[in-house]
Amino acid sequence: MKISWLKGVMPAVVTPFDDNFEVDEAALRNLIDFVIDKGVTAVVPCGSTGEFTSMSIEERKKVIEITVNQAKGRVKVIAGTGDAGTDAAIEMTKYAEKIGADAALIVSPFYLKPTDKEIFEHYKKIAESTSLPIILYNIPQVTGVEIPWWVVEGLADVENIVGIKDSSGNMPYMMALFEKVFGKISIICGHDEIATAALAAGADGLILASANVIPDIWIEIYNLILEGKREEAFAIQRKIQTLVRIIARRGGALAVKAALNMMGINVGKARRPLMKGGALPYEDEELMRIHLEILGKIPKRTVMFKIKPEKIVESETYAIPETPTKVNDFSLRIGEGFASPSTAEIAHIDLALGVKDGPVGKIFQETLKNPKPGHKPVVVKIDGKEVKPYTLLVPTVRITTAQQEKFVYEYAMKGVAKAIIDSVKHGILPSKADDLVMIAHVFVHPTASNPKRVEKNNYKAMRYAIRKAIEGRPTLNELLERKDSARHPFKYTP
Amino acid sequence: MFQPKGVYTALVTPYTKNNEVNEKVLRELINFLIEKGVSGLVPVGTTGEFVYLSEEERKRIIEIVVDEVNGRVPVIAGTGASSTLSALRLTKYAEDVGADAVLVVAPYYLRAADKGDFQHFYELANSTSLPIILYNIPQCTGGILRREVVEDLAELENIVGIKDSSGNMPYLMELLEKVGDRISVLVGYDEVVLPALASGARGMILASANIIPDIWVKLYEAVTRGDLETARSIQMSIQKLVRIFCRHGGNVAVKEALKMMNFDVGKSRRPLVKGGILSPEVREELRLELEKLGILQSKFSAVETPSKSLQERFEDLNIKTETIMREKLKVGEGSAGQGVTFVRIDLLAGPKDGPVGEAWLRGLINAAPGHEAVSVVVEPNLMVKPITLEIPGIEVKNLRQSSILFGPIQSAIGKAVLDAVENNIIPKELVETYALITKVSVNPEASDRRVLYINAYRATSNAIKQAFGGSN
Repeated sequence: MKISWLKGVMPAVVTPFDDNFEVDEAALRNLIDFVIDKGVTAVVPCGSTGEFTSMSIEERKKVIEITVNQAKGRVKVIAGTGDAGTDAAIEMTKYAEKIGADAALIVSPFYLKPTDKEIFEHYKKIAESTSLPIILYNIPQVTGVEIPWWVVEGLADVENIVGIKDSSGNMPYMMALFEKVFGKISIICGHDEIATAALAAGADGLILASANVIPDIWIEIYNLILEGKREEAFAIQRKIQTLVRIIARRGGALAVKAALNMMGINVGKARRPLMKGGALPYEDEELMRIHLEILGKIPKRTVMFKIKPEKIVESETYAIPETPTKVNDFSLRIGEGFASPSTAEIAHIDLALGVKDGPVGKIFQETLKNPKPGHKPVVVKIDGKEVKPYTLLVPTVRITTAQQEKFVYEYAMKGVAKAIIDSVKHGILPSKADDLVMIAHVFVHPTASNPKRVEKNNYKAMRYAIRKAIEGRPTLNELLERKDSARHPFKYTP
Repeated sequence: MFQPKGVYTALVTPYTKNNEVNEKVLRELINFLIEKGVSGLVPVGTTGEFVYLSEEERKRIIEIVVDEVNGRVPVIAGTGASSTLSALRLTKYAEDVGADAVLVVAPYYLRAADKGDFQHFYELANSTSLPIILYNIPQCTGGILRREVVEDLAELENIVGIKDSSGNMPYLMELLEKVGDRISVLVGYDEVVLPALASGARGMILASANIIPDIWVKLYEAVTRGDLETARSIQMSIQKLVRIFCRHGGNVAVKEALKMMNFDVGKSRRPLVKGGILSPEVREELRLELEKLGILQSKFSAVETPSKSLQERFEDLNIKTETIMREKLKVGEGSAGQGVTFVRIDLLAGPKDGPVGEAWLRGLINAAPGHEAVSVVVEPNLMVKPITLEIPGIEVKNLRQSSILFGPIQSAIGKAVLDAVENNIIPKELVETYALITKVSVNPEASDRRVLYINAYRATSNAIKQAFGGSN
């Protein structure tokens, strides 16, 4: 049976952990306040994004308790109480009821793949054990099982089953839910990439991982759909699509935590086995950072560039906690950027950045005067005009065909030029720095065939390389932490 | 009725430069394969690019093959099609020109379900007196020819076998259990030939039997006489090669291999192109595997012992022995491994705002052809500190070599540098101010990436110890 409050935007909150991977209560309370201030309808602790499968029952209970306490009745609390086994789910649900949660979100049983009958019985038994409103939760990409629509239809007749969250992203499935249980229970979309489409089709609300990060934007979309302003809502969805695609497909909690940390909302790391560089590739974290900047979610601060002992310039730039406040040594700074997708169109840039009268300036001139065959150096231009800081583009792979030449000096160069311009515009590179020059060593695979992809990947790779050269990242600590789990894609024999 | 067994080759379709069927090369290939002892030939199957051939072309190829074989071995014509009517026409033609049997792929593209699949083969069986072999290849057709359908079809007089190219062993076991006593189960997935034969499959129809027909015949014979030990070692010796055919190159890879063996089979038809499913890197791996098997001649030559002293090996970067002495730069060398997987590393280290920094950039940006360098990462996006340059010491001639140098070798150098920092062999205070240059000598023919990683790691660690552990 539908309940009136189950609608709107509800973040599936992450579980913050401290440096010892213990639940970080202060950070959790801080995050809850952040999303409540933005106007969400409810908060959802201990769901998939809350890493419930990496927590003990005791920890899950504690997190639900903290959430109820911190919400203080300002918004509803929907506790994630699902489990692979029915008994554990019942125990969790009863606890959530006792502690004062407003509803329970219960994921379908997973791992050993139960059949229709077993899924039905699982929910029925839990519903009988509690008076708490229950929301079914379909997320086959992690459970390995889809809750068939006819099971949902049957369960919708149970008094305290009040909704279903569908995170499959499978629109035909969702349309079947609308056909069978619309109006009877709340239909909640859980897949960030199709959220606006789901709302337009009649979904009651959203429980989303990305609503930790951009609750305000989701609320705006939700309200626009309610007001019938479909075009405007979809225009916003298109603007956030890259960000939410990364969150939905690249490790959920991992990506959300990376985003929140970059925004200055400290939530710590995800628990193992989730690791940065794994489910969330390093390049996607970088891309997410760019998109968070575009959306205005990363604060700006002043960075000092000590270009020479006598020359210091300042720049207002988007800064994450790791961004240094002072960048001192401009003799030779190296940054690396790698961007995909598509094997043939990957971009890889080794970037050298430094003062004109240092090694970079010297080699810049030396290379121009005495280029090696097949590696013609070109000063980066856009629309016939050289971009600043002056940057020399040198191809990594020897150029032997006209096609390669076009891909390097036309498409890759366009991406590189745009990246330099944007980096200056955003204060990542100092704008008043005529003393600086750069050399970009640009890899384009000889079999590349998609010009747009080559341009875009080189844009991204150059953005990442510039940022890393300036910020000196990865830092030594990051390297020492990540070196043992590093996996080079070419390391393995076919 | 014909009972297929043994080793059958799924023939490629050779083309001329103009992409027309190349009759001459086709005839050459047929004779080569028959001499190598194959049990029969299968023209215009998946490997024969049947989906890119017109009905007329397919008919002509079948006719050429029947003519050239001239009764020496059975010819099993590929006559499958998405539409039943088309398959009927082709099968009728194959019978008219004298093929011995037909191989008919399950209907594809529009999914016909069990009923449509059954009816497709049922009508075919009734239309011809030729023996028919069913063909399951879900990775191309998009659907499985379900065991229940095969079970019913096996009742028909002239359904004599099924080729299973799925590589799905539970499915194959199901076939052997349900129909193995009535029809021949043939394996079509190169990587699982041994377990399939050992479990009771009667033979194989393989793309790789264009390349290594004799090896497959040996494996088949070993299993037939119960010598599983020998069969196992044969399968393992070709596993990497056939994995490339199965997963990294398909028809394009088979044609490339044949071209390396001097059969002028031409290109595959579009949209298949080189550099698509078969990357240039994997193409070279393919060549090395053929060399290992003695099908192509190996070009192996050992890495030479350097004639110059360690201090003189950085002169091309404008670092002279005097500079090393004057600036108190650090040098070290290390090597590990033997034979083709031998790795030597020459290392130079010094402050990045001095001559080493310049040399580092010079090596990166202004490299001699074949010695293009990279800034070392342990994996993409994890560039090491101190910044480390990897320069190939031996000329790089192809992308496979690059992928080895900039894959396992690069990753190993990076790991060795970071481990040296962690263990204070490289002092932490030098991490931001120093630059390292490594010159790497690896045999161009080396291919065992696991061993190369280990050797490069050891060689780099030793070079670092020598450079940083010493008195300067």
